[in-house]
Amino acid sequence: MNDEKSISWKKLQENWLTRRNLIRGAAGTAAGAGLLLGSGLRLAARADDDDDEGRETCALALPQPHTTAGPFGPLHFYFPGPIDGSAAATDATGTHPEGRDPSTITNFEGFVGQVDLTFSGTGMDTKSGATAPYKFHTDTRFMKGLFIGSDERTRRGAFAFI
Amino acid sequence: MDVDLDEGEAVLHLENVCRVFDAFSVPNSLNPLHPLGLVSGFLKSLRIQWKGITKKLSFSNGKTFKGDFIENSATIAVTVRTPHTKPPFTPTPQDGFQFVADPASTVSNFAQIGHESNGALFS
Repeated sequence: MNDEKSISWKKLQENWLTRRNLIRGAAGTAAGAGLLLGSGLRLAARADDDDDEGRETCALALPQPHTTAGPFGPLHFYFPGPIDGSAAATDATGTHPEGRDPSTITNFEGFVGQVDLTFSGTGMDTKSGATAPYKFHTDTRFMKGLFIGSDERTRRGAFAFI
Repeated sequence: MDVDLDEGEAVLHLENVCRVFDAFSVPNSLNPLHPLGLVSGFLKSLRIQWKGITKKLSFSNGKTFKGDFIENSATIAVTVRTPHTKPPFTPTPQDGFQFVADPASTVSNFAQIGHESNGALFS
């Protein structure tokens, strides 16, 4: 991990507290964990396509090859920022002359949406009913279009990274 | 997911998604051992709306990635819930948690929508 990337992760982790610790104490900043929701494989499976029999659930979208160093290993994404790779306040890893692809999957062609948002709201302990204000920071993305999966077949699908 | 690049608008809208994990914090999510636990969450609703055209950018690195994008701003509305948990799913019993965002509080640090191609579909 180089210094720039270390600084980036350190900066982010300063803001990452567990929600449940927060609800016991004062309000503060928390962040949700990342996940990838994929509907592409299911959408691609057609009941009337004999050639797909037994294969429709065996493929996965492949990850973006670019990696950002994480605390427990490489992570396959670019931090948010302009696609030309120019400097951005939301990407402490610096500039990227090869471009800053917002998609988290590769072999993809289609529409992409990306946000880096800070927002607040109300958190509630569902047992006690105690509430507290919470501040979240999210990097959320979607990809919708064609992709070539791990079975080397082209499919149409939609994914959300939350 | 709806996208209108000409108008600079897009919507990501999800409802009643239960096949998600709640790892409580990003470091815990990234740690393969998940020392704080890893439980099933429930995304009751999520709606992110992109609007406006702040800047238009086209880019190609000539090999693996190209795209036409619009930088704009976005707002988020989200309601999520995590049930109460107990060992071994979390180290200690935990009450359930619910969060309801206030869309008006959204600060858009960066937002963009676009159309791209990468990897083997780069052309």
